[in-house]
Amino acid sequence: MKRIISILCLVVCSVALFAQENGYLTGSFESNDHFYVADEVNRFTPDADRFGSNNYLKLDYYNGNFSAGLQMEAYVPALIGYPDDLTKYALSNIYVNWKDEDFQVTAGTFYDQFGSGLLFRSWEDRVLGLNNAIMGARFAYNFEDKIAFKALWGMPRLGMDFSDTQVRGADLSISLADIIGLDDIVLSLEGSVLNKYSRISIDAEEAGGKPNTYGWSGRLNFDWNGFFVKGEYVDLGKKLVAFTPKRGNAQLVEFGYNGRGLGVTLTGRRLEWMGQNITSSSISSANLISYVPAMSTQYTYMLTTLHPYNPQVGDESTFTFNSGEIGGQIDAFYNFRRGTAIGGKRGMKVHANFSTYYTLAQEGTAQAGNLLFRDFSVDVEKQWTKQFKMLLMYSLQEYNPGYGQNKTTWLSNIVVADLLYKWTPQFSTRLELQYLTTHEDKKDWMAALLEVNFAPHWSIFGSDMYNHGSTKMHYYNAGVSYTKGRTRLALGYGRYKDGYICSGGVCRQIPQYTGANFTLTTSF
Amino acid sequence: MRTFLLTLALFVSALAYAQVPSVTVENAKGEAVNTKTLLDEGTPMIVSFWSTSCKPCIRELDAVYEALPDWLEEADFRVVAVSTDDSRLLAKAKSFTQGRGWGEDFVLLFDKNQDFMRAMNVSVVPHVFVIDGKGKIVYSHTSYVPGNELELFEAVKKCSK
Repeated sequence: MKRIISILCLVVCSVALFAQENGYLTGSFESNDHFYVADEVNRFTPDADRFGSNNYLKLDYYNGNFSAGLQMEAYVPALIGYPDDLTKYALSNIYVNWKDEDFQVTAGTFYDQFGSGLLFRSWEDRVLGLNNAIMGARFAYNFEDKIAFKALWGMPRLGMDFSDTQVRGADLSISLADIIGLDDIVLSLEGSVLNKYSRISIDAEEAGGKPNTYGWSGRLNFDWNGFFVKGEYVDLGKKLVAFTPKRGNAQLVEFGYNGRGLGVTLTGRRLEWMGQNITSSSISSANLISYVPAMSTQYTYMLTTLHPYNPQVGDESTFTFNSGEIGGQIDAFYNFRRGTAIGGKRGMKVHANFSTYYTLAQEGTAQAGNLLFRDFSVDVEKQWTKQFKMLLMYSLQEYNPGYGQNKTTWLSNIVVADLLYKWTPQFSTRLELQYLTTHEDKKDWMAALLEVNFAPHWSIFGSDMYNHGSTKMHYYNAGVSYTKGRTRLALGYGRYKDGYICSGGVCRQIPQYTGANFTLTTSF
Repeated sequence: MRTFLLTLALFVSALAYAQVPSVTVENAKGEAVNTKTLLDEGTPMIVSFWSTSCKPCIRELDAVYEALPDWLEEADFRVVAVSTDDSRLLAKAKSFTQGRGWGEDFVLLFDKNQDFMRAMNVSVVPHVFVIDGKGKIVYSHTSYVPGNELELFEAVKKCSK
């Protein structure tokens, strides 16, 4: 692998040397640093060095259709809660790429996905400590927007190095509407195949497991005058789950209407044995080669994120052992325009969501048809005056703490008020007030956040999340940030609760901790 | 490490102004769009990277949306809103833009595997760029607090002259 990286370095050097006239360099740097402090109340004792630091340097060079780049990462050491295999430093990404209107060829590391990512996705999410970039080669061809084809091969990254697992895949998209000559309609048929080779143990081999798995997917996209339908069927192929052969498969349907200030989307999804890891020998939360997210509202307010939904993808590496889930959601957005009876002078925006998911079958520790998660939320946003904007949200969340082992569910009612007032064009304050009430778990919570903004550079905030129903714990947090152009510095101090950090519907578990944090992001 | 430093030195020596790279994203109908085609009209544009779970992003684009009729009286430009929502939230992001009214005034692009975001070296959203009619990036800003849109419009006016 080091030889491949060295060769790519030399290629990048050579091209940069001979093609300087029209080329340009762009890049970014990000540093997240924590200093941990002992906190008896939070039951937190830091390690001896008390320090964690995640750092990312990314550089890209562009010259016409050509580009090349690299990324370096340093974990000295990694922040608490990040995957254990992120240690020290590495030249994690390096690539050369050629792309014109029709062709694209990439050598080195790249990210890609087939369809929604249920069959295959390679991506980076620094919040999760996930970077499963593929080290290999990719070719893509687009014929007059009628046919798009891509093929790829490579080894996914796991931890600080590339694994010895290999993926080979191809994706084809045929735009029937363009071929027939229908201007106002989008109608395309798409399909993918994926072969994954990964070493398996002798025990797995004796149980009938194979190092090669073969998966495929078929997809349909349709859009006409704002009405849309998307369908996807995925077959992951045969795999061993607890030494028993299973066939992973999923069905995803999305349809709705977008237009005239109204946006409605209905989603239905069924998952069965859809867990797909890079290797069976790692328990890292970043050990993923496909994307099976929670299809529900991604909340952002403090008390609405205490129990994020973690989808039951169907494997044996979750807390319990079950075959999957079935469920769906409906999302509706509406913009009451200015000048209407409800919209008033400045308009009003309304959003509602309902989602519900159930266990698929009696398998492992799960019983069939038990509720896993259900939520309903509605939020109304209104600009009352030029200075004052208000958002009110209600959320009802119900989840199964046993992941479908029984019918026991915990239910929370949450209300949020988010009030923004602009005192001058550049000075504003924002106040969040939140309340959660429940008969279960740690009972009632309340939370508040005050943010004071001095545009264009400064922002200061303080917040507290208080469990007054049971533990009487305060989770306080305060910080200041300074932004100039593309550079942002943020400094904060707080006590953080254990739980899940979720990004894009994928979650990693984090322990409780207390301490100071510093973040620097810049690009050039 | 020596090879890396050599690479870095050569990169830096090759500096010119940054432009819009060629990346394939989706439009609101799900059709593939090459980001280079954004330059075809030859007018300046605001390119704003946002996501449905990023409240400051939504506040920034709402502020631009509210001010747009007045701004367009003073400058000729377009607003390109690039959603970085992945396939979990992609359909929702398309419906969301209708519920904000953005679809009428903004060019909407959807960057579901964050390829355009990575190519523009955007680490976190919100991140906004002002690009002149020739494709040169003349202004860039990360994060948003109310009032930042005033600085953004000043940058648009400069390259719209």
